[in-house]
Amino acid sequence: MAILYPQVLHEIARANPTIWGVSVECWWFISGLASEFPERAIEVGIAEQNGVGIAAGLALCGKVPFVHGMVPFITMRSFEQVRTDIGYQHLNVKIVGAYSGGLEQGPWGCTHHGVEDAALMRLVPGMTVVLPADAWETEQAVRAIAALDGPAYIQLRGGELTPGGERSFQLGRASVLRPGGDVTIIACGALVSEALKAADMLAERGVSARLLNMHTVKPLDRDAVLSAAAETRALVTLEEHTIVGGLGSAVAEVLAERPSAPLRRLGLPDVFAKRTADRPELLETYGMTARHAAEAALELLDGRHA
Amino acid sequence: MARTSDTHAGGALSLADIAAALYFRVLRWDVARPSWEDRDRVVLSKGHCVPALYGAFTELGLLGPEEPSQHLTTDSRLPGHANLKTPGIDATTGSLGHGLSIGVGMALAALADQRPFRTFVILGDGELQEGSCWEAAMSAGHYGLDGLTAIVDRNGYQARGDVDTEATIAVEPLADKWISFGWSARRIDGHDMAAVVDTLESVPFEPGKPSAVIADTVKGKGVSFLERGHDHYSRLTAEQAEVALQELGG
Repeated sequence: MAILYPQVLHEIARANPTIWGVSVECWWFISGLASEFPERAIEVGIAEQNGVGIAAGLALCGKVPFVHGMVPFITMRSFEQVRTDIGYQHLNVKIVGAYSGGLEQGPWGCTHHGVEDAALMRLVPGMTVVLPADAWETEQAVRAIAALDGPAYIQLRGGELTPGGERSFQLGRASVLRPGGDVTIIACGALVSEALKAADMLAERGVSARLLNMHTVKPLDRDAVLSAAAETRALVTLEEHTIVGGLGSAVAEVLAERPSAPLRRLGLPDVFAKRTADRPELLETYGMTARHAAEAALELLDGRHA
Repeated sequence: MARTSDTHAGGALSLADIAAALYFRVLRWDVARPSWEDRDRVVLSKGHCVPALYGAFTELGLLGPEEPSQHLTTDSRLPGHANLKTPGIDATTGSLGHGLSIGVGMALAALADQRPFRTFVILGDGELQEGSCWEAAMSAGHYGLDGLTAIVDRNGYQARGDVDTEATIAVEPLADKWISFGWSARRIDGHDMAAVVDTLESVPFEPGKPSAVIADTVKGKGVSFLERGHDHYSRLTAEQAEVALQELGG
């Protein structure tokens, strides 16, 4: 049973006195750390740019700050500070997209959809970008990025994936949730659960789908992608993110430089999810469910690429 | 700077007296240990005026006597904006509006660790048009960071030489703004060395409040044709460089 994020951060902070918690209106996430180490916890209010800049200043004085904000705002409003203050100076700061990732805010509207974070964070040289699939994987990823000396971004995720079998986590290595030889589905974050269902649907149709949980979008596990392209006949990517610039694009970049199997990217098809609807309805509307992934896989195998 | 085009001589010259006061008098600093953990920190938020600091570093022996002429040249240690790759520089800057937040972070680290070092952030006046400066100011006032001092190089101009800052987007009344954000503020003549030194040596002005020094300066100070032109970028011909150096007493 995975422990809650505030407790994970608290444990890490207990073991490492240079760890700080910076909150951009996300106090709950650092509340564990703050309860024991108030001198290492700072609330900056609704001010992402200042929060990330402060983290840079702390890091320049030897601290390891974890900066917490809502996914769209901590990546967009303060993108320049992330790229220039943190990335360019290669500072040991962790940017945490604490909530409001993907389409979870549903009918609250596109202002609160966090569907560009992987693309933006991936743009920063030297940044590690992780989108874990559930609470267990989040804990592994948080510990891994805490041990890393360099900037990192993580989108937190709760819930519990049930892929079956032993689970392991290694930063930068895709987790193979299902072996398979016909087609490959590559997913990360919130839609790994949908990808699992898609693989099962395909199995029922006699199609063997390899499922790669590509939690680390940067550095991407290129070998896993190239092996999939060499050993299976098509690839489908699935992400709760725009198809422009995120996981699908990262996979496409690898494939384009070594031409191989056809690729279909599933995610937000370069539109705002404008429909006022809750998350499941939005996923259905914009073609991001298990059914869509399975259908895409079958189409590609059938030679229908468009 | 005459060897390169597009230098920011105006903004570096307006800052030169403040830089001299800091590096030759006010800062607790050790040229032999530029990474000393308890050194006073300087964040040059107006990073394009780094030649003012390169001058001080050269005088102090932190840079070699020939290094200033390598400013902006290939593979030199002296790029166009303040950068960690240069010894003596505490933060990489260049994009205006970032430095004060970085300074707040440093001051918070000092406070938490109960370390004695002070943090000085040097800002431009046009730079104060960036809203991120005020996020930082608000947080410094809120947290009462009296280890933090902001120095505004109030030279009155920004990108245009023919239109001053007040006519671009007015930043006055400046002292009032800082005070309303919870700072203690003083305004001085940035070229009156006695005033500059005395003021910087008396921070914090009030315990429990960060300090703002608004230094009225002249863009291009010390070089007659630069003072008149208020140029943001200066392309000096060899003849102009000769005249400039003579006027500066070099």
